[in-house]
Amino acid sequence: MITNPSTVRAELVEAPLCLAANAAPEEKNSPRASGPASLPTSSGRTGPVVWAVLVGALLGFAAVPAHAQTVEQRIAAYKHRVELLEDQNAIEDLQATYGYYFDKGLWDQAAALFTPNGSFEYGQRGVYIGQDHIRRAMLLFGPQGLAAGHLNNHMMLQPIVTVADDGLSAKARWQGMIMLGQPGQNGLWGIGLSENEYVKQKGVWKISKAHFYVTAETDYDAGWTKSAIPMEGPSALFPPDRPPSEVYRAFPGVYIPPFDYKHPVTGKSLADIPEPADDVVGRK
Amino acid sequence: MAPNRLPKSVRAELVEAPLFSFGAALERKCGPSTSSGRTVLGLLAGWLALMAVPAFAQQTPEQRLDALDKRITRLEDMNQVEKVQRAYGYFVDKGQWTQLSELFADDATLEIGGKGLFLGKKRVLEYMQTAFGKDGPKEGLLANHMQFQPIVDISPDGKTAWVRSRAFVMSVGGWGLPLYEDEFVKDNGTWKFKRESGPFTMYSSWKGWGHDALNNTWPDKFDPPPDLPPSTVYLTYPAYWIIPFHYPNPVTGKPFPVEPVGAYQAPPGTPEQEASLKVGRLADGTQPIAQPPKD
Repeated sequence: MITNPSTVRAELVEAPLCLAANAAPEEKNSPRASGPASLPTSSGRTGPVVWAVLVGALLGFAAVPAHAQTVEQRIAAYKHRVELLEDQNAIEDLQATYGYYFDKGLWDQAAALFTPNGSFEYGQRGVYIGQDHIRRAMLLFGPQGLAAGHLNNHMMLQPIVTVADDGLSAKARWQGMIMLGQPGQNGLWGIGLSENEYVKQKGVWKISKAHFYVTAETDYDAGWTKSAIPMEGPSALFPPDRPPSEVYRAFPGVYIPPFDYKHPVTGKSLADIPEPADDVVGRK
Repeated sequence: MAPNRLPKSVRAELVEAPLFSFGAALERKCGPSTSSGRTVLGLLAGWLALMAVPAFAQQTPEQRLDALDKRITRLEDMNQVEKVQRAYGYFVDKGQWTQLSELFADDATLEIGGKGLFLGKKRVLEYMQTAFGKDGPKEGLLANHMQFQPIVDISPDGKTAWVRSRAFVMSVGGWGLPLYEDEFVKDNGTWKFKRESGPFTMYSSWKGWGHDALNNTWPDKFDPPPDLPPSTVYLTYPAYWIIPFHYPNPVTGKPFPVEPVGAYQAPPGTPEQEASLKVGRLADGTQPIAQPPKD
């Protein structure tokens, strides 16, 4: 086994030499949407024409072994795949940073992560558009800089990031665990989901849409079976630019925030998963 | 459970580093959620710079590109395997059992808690729909299985992957901590679950693990019965069992000890086993059991 890495290293160094013949056919059927190699698949994504042409020539309908391509063609294809990996990392960093800012009431810094026309929607509070409105909407959660005795943690976890093949836009689903506190009140546990969108402008990834769906919130001590805290509605102090884009209840109601990604094995859209009925909302 | 928890693999960066002589630049990344992509781009640039150096003449550009392709593919594979594991969690959260079962290979196995083994994709679906009801979330029910902390490894041939990860459960029943050692197979270019193995670390009511703890599940606790009995018998918190790590210590390179660790680390009656039964137990040596097994 692996008691001596150096022996394993020597043993496996030759492996890449025999991989070429297998590399291209494997890419042919890959469902991942992370590179030009996936274009001929059922991922449903389409990149710019230039890539389609280049990729068609490169991997093309993928019966062409990697060795049939020129060195320059292969470098171009690999560079694109690496860029898509970097894009995913950049988006994960961006969303994590947004979370760290939001936790500490750093609204100015959080709002600066959005595109000029970006949108922010939290629960049933409605949609705020543009950095200035987003910043003011966040003031409804508390002053700039977290007030004393407050806890405002919204953890950004479990990302499924899907970068478009052109590397200019992306979508992601995130799990959000919530821990809130303020003086004079009991602590609060919560769960929510983000379905966000991003664009790359001049090489920099920004948030174009942040939509946080509250799943459930409860009193710290009581728990879900005894306490279900409803979401807040649109503010009268600073009304949103648009009403909530989707009307739903938090727990004990149930709602499925639409999946942005396709099923990772079947490749099929998850958009037609039926929403559960809700008598209060009036959803059959 | 498959005995092959210690893949004969090493991280691919260890394997290919000598080809590039960039070993120092290659940090050992445990997950793709880091800046590993940047590392690869650096390698690409470095490769371009070195193309004309005669010292590398023993390798053709095509050979070096083959190696690079393999490394990029590995990073892509790691990301995709993480996605499949995370999608599993999102499907559990919303009771999407049909979609969940589609994440499994036809001949995959599933073992959760002490319930025993279910064999095949169809049985995975039957298990979920029998135990937890038809597809879709139910009003007043919350069963979030948040998927955290993945360590992904890909086999040298790129066809098998392993993940150690955890779920953090917030549910109407309280708190829960499953741990996963899962195996994935790349089937016709698509990563799928080959084995899901999710032993429990701890389950407690909402009052918390300082107040009470549920014992592990067992094969006939609820329907349907499993196809095979549990692969391992173990106790949950406040006792513990360490599911073997599929990967070696990332710093020393030493594999995880093969013998099981925890309540069953030694045969019953031996001093080692007696001692281990006290580890993690309450001060009076008892293990609280909220729901005793049915006769």
